Amino acid sequence: MHKDDLEKLLRDTLQQEVSEERHYLDGLEKKIVAELTGRLPRRGWLQTLTRLFTQMEGSHRRQLAVIGITAVIFLFLGIFVSERLPLFRGLFSTYDKQHTTTITANSNRGQLLFVMPAPGAQTVAVVGSFNNWEPTLLTDEDEDGIWLTNLSLTPGRYEYAFVVDGRWWGQDPLADEYVRSFGGYNSVRYVGYTGDNI
Amino acid sequence: MSKEEESSVYRVQDEVSLLRASLNGEVEAWGEIVSRYKEAILGLCVGFLRNCPDAEDISHDTFIRAYENLHRYHMEKRFSTWIFTIASNLCRNRLRYRRRHPILPLPVQMEGGCSPAITIAQEDRQAQIRQGLSRLPYRYRAPITLRYYNDLSYHQIARVLSLPEGTIKTHIYRGKALLKQEIEKMEVVNHA
Repeated sequence: MHKDDLEKLLRDTLQQEVSEERHYLDGLEKKIVAELTGRLPRRGWLQTLTRLFTQMEGSHRRQLAVIGITAVIFLFLGIFVSERLPLFRGLFSTYDKQHTTTITANSNRGQLLFVMPAPGAQTVAVVGSFNNWEPTLLTDEDEDGIWLTNLSLTPGRYEYAFVVDGRWWGQDPLADEYVRSFGGYNSVRYVGYTGDNI
Repeated sequence: MSKEEESSVYRVQDEVSLLRASLNGEVEAWGEIVSRYKEAILGLCVGFLRNCPDAEDISHDTFIRAYENLHRYHMEKRFSTWIFTIASNLCRNRLRYRRRHPILPLPVQMEGGCSPAITIAQEDRQAQIRQGLSRLPYRYRAPITLRYYNDLSYHQIARVLSLPEGTIKTHIYRGKALLKQEIEKMEVVNHA
């Protein structure tokens, strides 16, 4: 059989097969439309926003823009005030005020405060490169569930983890970064300089 | 505007306008897209699946699935390639399903594709092609259908089937060679 004959036969055969199914094709669009009526195609969030925005009248669009810009200004103002003014600094989190600032101040002098919230724990220790991975116990003198210890360290990078009642706790929320180690995580803190400088 | 008037308005619109309207929830516009593509999609499904009830099912599902996912379609790209890709993926899933849940073979219909009337006349060349296509592996049948029924270029077929263009050319060439062999075998049997 010649190549062109085969190609023509293929075309004709497939056409023929579809034409035999014409009964199915008749009215398929109506069937689909009926099935889809009242069911909107899913949209991406950007398309939905764009559509809402373009359908609005001019005055509404302006109002929405003013509201949006005002919201953004207030958001930035809020962040600025909470960061800069001591009065507001701890407004949203007393925990941050007590501990984060202390750590930053002490870090420069070689003092590092380790804090571990563990209410109900029997023993909390910190192990790390500064103590040859031998446990240094944290204390909870006021029994509020926050365990603390203050260590005096020379400037450098320190890898560590907490051990709470024998359980490894490698991700300290106050750490500068985390590293993977033996299938788990360890925390890293820098004393005397930031990680960026290293 | 009555439904008839509405659909006649859509009939003269270009594809992009219809797709935009569909995306805005105008289902009648999608109905016009269905009427423009239904033959192409059914042909693709028949060619891929070689089983008419499944082909009808998948054609229907393709239009529903495409409508539901229309927001993912990029208007600057060719719509036909996009909808053929959906149909082709659905066909592939159905074939996988059929491997686990085969239909009980109907001696006349299975081998010959859709129409028993045609397969009875074994000498008929078209019946031979139908049988040959049914025996052809899916990897050859799919590009052959897209090439000779849907009239797609090698480049478009490659995009629909997510394969390199060179592979498509090879598969079409080998598929046709196999088909030719099958037909020749059938002729020998018929003459014997």
